[in-house]
Amino acid sequence: MKIWTSEHTFNHPWETVATAAWRKYPNPHNTAVIGTDVVERKVVDGVLHTHRLVSSTWYFPRWAQALIGSANVCYASEQSEVNPISRYMILKTINLSFCRHIAVDETLSYLPHPSDPSKTLLKQEAVVTVKGVPLTNYMEDLLTNKISTNASKGRQAMEYVINKIDAEVKDLTRSTDEIINHTKKSLDGIANSAKKSMADISEKAKKSLDDMHKLGLS
Amino acid sequence: MNSVGEACNDLKKEYDACFNSWFSEHFLKGNTNDSMCAPLFKVYQQCVKKAMKDQNIDIQEVKKDILGTDNEKKIP
Repeated sequence: MKIWTSEHTFNHPWETVATAAWRKYPNPHNTAVIGTDVVERKVVDGVLHTHRLVSSTWYFPRWAQALIGSANVCYASEQSEVNPISRYMILKTINLSFCRHIAVDETLSYLPHPSDPSKTLLKQEAVVTVKGVPLTNYMEDLLTNKISTNASKGRQAMEYVINKIDAEVKDLTRSTDEIINHTKKSLDGIANSAKKSMADISEKAKKSLDDMHKLGLS
Repeated sequence: MNSVGEACNDLKKEYDACFNSWFSEHFLKGNTNDSMCAPLFKVYQQCVKKAMKDQNIDIQEVKKDILGTDNEKKIP
């Protein structure tokens, strides 16, 4: 059994990171993940519980495949909880069917940074257990190294998704402005109803993008 | 992101879009009523359960309990 842990600070508020976490895939850094499916999802006492099936492709050296099976697509079960009041998001992933010999248990928790609540701390832990194959220790090292590489890719992926969401909000603000200008020129009735919904969007955009004001776009 | 069942991809995308907007605009702002995407979730679920069955992905294994059992890791 090998235990691997790591911590990372995102310079974004918890809400941004939690939103991005749901949209983490697809991204250019973790191309191994080919699918995610929600199997169960419910809100209990204000906490969002989600159970997802994550499909990914794993590439092992040929000799390793002889030991652990050649299953190219592996499935994992990811159970998560998001509490918006306490501001935590925890995801626990267990490999399913990933070849009966190997168990990878991973836990990710996103919490506000204890010393700066405007930042988010990611804590990551993985436990790798390989049973019933020769060179167990070597196999565990191999997997642990793989997890370590994937973890840094995962953090890059999160930054990528956060940037993407920011860009979408910017685009939304821009096109919103165009619509508002256009609407002003047309009938008052249409203008009023359009403004109502646009004001909503603009407000949200403003909240997430303080710099909009400086750029004079909003 | 794709679904495990190719036939479910469109349903999944619609549901995901709804969920993402519900999550940031409602849930994170304290509105925990999740009926907004319920109709989309329902049709997507029917599709995905069938796809998993067709591909012999063991739903029971997927649903193995962690939370609330000894396997659960505690909140740091």
